[in-house]
Amino acid sequence: METLTLEATQYTPEIHMDPAGTVSIVGKSYPENTFEFYKPVMEWLNNFFEQDDIPELTVNVELIYFNSSSSKLFFDLFDILDENNDTTEITINWIYDEENESAEEAGEDFIEDFEDLTINLVTKEEE
Amino acid sequence: MSEQPRRTRRRRAESDTQQHENPLVNELERLKENFSGTADKIIKDIKRQERIMARSDKRQRKEYDELQQRLIEVQGLQEAQKKLLDSFIELIAGAIDAKSKYTGGHCNRVPILANMLGKAASESGEGIFEDFQLSERDAHELNIAAWLHDCGKVVTPEYVVDKATKLETIYNRIHEIRNRFEIIHRDLTIESLQRIIAGEEKASVEQWLAEEHAKLQEEFAFIAKANVGGEFMRDEDQQRVRDIGKREWTRYFDDRLGLSSEELRLIGDEAAETPARETLLADKPRHIIPREHFDYDEYERMGFKMPVPDALYNRGEIFNLTIAKGTLTYEERFKINEHMVMTIKMLEQLPFPDHLKNVPLYAGAHHETMIGTGYPRQLTKDDMPIPSRIMAIADVFEALTAADRPYKDAKTLSMSIKIMSFMVKDQHLDRDIFELFLKSGVYKQYAEAYLKPEQIDEVDIDQYLS
Repeated sequence: METLTLEATQYTPEIHMDPAGTVSIVGKSYPENTFEFYKPVMEWLNNFFEQDDIPELTVNVELIYFNSSSSKLFFDLFDILDENNDTTEITINWIYDEENESAEEAGEDFIEDFEDLTINLVTKEEE
Repeated sequence: MSEQPRRTRRRRAESDTQQHENPLVNELERLKENFSGTADKIIKDIKRQERIMARSDKRQRKEYDELQQRLIEVQGLQEAQKKLLDSFIELIAGAIDAKSKYTGGHCNRVPILANMLGKAASESGEGIFEDFQLSERDAHELNIAAWLHDCGKVVTPEYVVDKATKLETIYNRIHEIRNRFEIIHRDLTIESLQRIIAGEEKASVEQWLAEEHAKLQEEFAFIAKANVGGEFMRDEDQQRVRDIGKREWTRYFDDRLGLSSEELRLIGDEAAETPARETLLADKPRHIIPREHFDYDEYERMGFKMPVPDALYNRGEIFNLTIAKGTLTYEERFKINEHMVMTIKMLEQLPFPDHLKNVPLYAGAHHETMIGTGYPRQLTKDDMPIPSRIMAIADVFEALTAADRPYKDAKTLSMSIKIMSFMVKDQHLDRDIFELFLKSGVYKQYAEAYLKPEQIDEVDIDQYLS
């Protein structure tokens, strides 16, 4: 299991996936081809859950701007997490600026859709 | 709804363990279960997609609204910026015009002419103007250029701009007065020779002449000393100037020749015959320069409180030589203080946007005091927001420590702060800001950057803090 690191670009977030059990996605997400861009992320996640000894997983997502296909992708990503929720201790921190209404609403959607997942809405005060 | 997939999973797990005898039934069961699960998944997915789309539409609407709002803001700012720029340009032009009553209105009128000509050239279509077209932007450009065409004159000395005769200049009239002493000196010599010719005893006349010459030398030395301003001129010294000034001499030449029309206007109907008996020193009507074109109503309306002297200037010789303190008459002091009136007038006519609307207030109150004894509006502390009071401290400290003023030496840091502490005590400067100035070390920081090393000395700030 290797660490996956993707540097941030103008359109894509910085992504860090550590096999020790932390995933962080920070920045903006409106890639030209969203599913292509997140393919390695999904693969890494599937591999993570195929391990023999799966550590606890914390997922921190902090997106200031994301398009609708990114929203769709996060549903898919959370589906993977949901499927493994019974066997692994998973915590998701959905972090957003208190002014960022769309990020807040998206977070509420995820909570509604994934009742069994531990999704924390974490607001940040504007600097 | 979100319960659904888990139940499906559980049911599938059950059916896996409870096999029916008929494999077809098992298969049908599996198909049914799969179908239901798959249908649930698809429904869920459609609902997710719909939600995403609804969110996306909502956000799009919001973003577009914001964008349009921003656009309106930007357009407003652009308009405000253009107005501000235009006004600044007119302000500079106005300042140049205000410097001189002779060219007054010049910078104002040139754009009118230039714009008229530009329009005419644009419409002509003939000869060299065949291809000449001024777009709206080109016209604006020409307009700005016309307003600014003389802007450099803001630094040109007034006496050069307004020089009306070849010999006119800023002049220390002590030379003129000394020449009169020279004349009287020779008149005395002539008088002595005439008396000797008339038969008076030579030795006694020469004795008299020597005494008169010595007296005259001493009197000139006194007048010359009086010409240099000082802290205070005693009443008896002022009287002595008047007494010395009573000496008479005869002028044989017409003093109206070689004058500008403005100078002639000031002389008015003073007697023109020569020879004329003149006094050594005089206050003449021609020394009074009248105040003209002064808008008293506006002055009052804008809240200016400095008493306005009747005359613009009084150049009377005795009047000036008997100035009790310094070198300036009240008329001149007023003229200097009037720069604040000018500053406020100029700034108040600028359409500053809301976030800059206090600029005139901040810039225009730095000669006010905390107790209504300042100028030009005799404001008090309550009328002056902190930035105004900060300006006052900055202005005084800079003036005290400046090394480039021709009429005074730069003071040391400690002396400057001591003087400021007196001004605080007299409530001319604000105590809170003065203490902040000291405690924060701003005085020191500024000194290190801008004062000459020899001006910077140790300051014991504790003695000034309450």
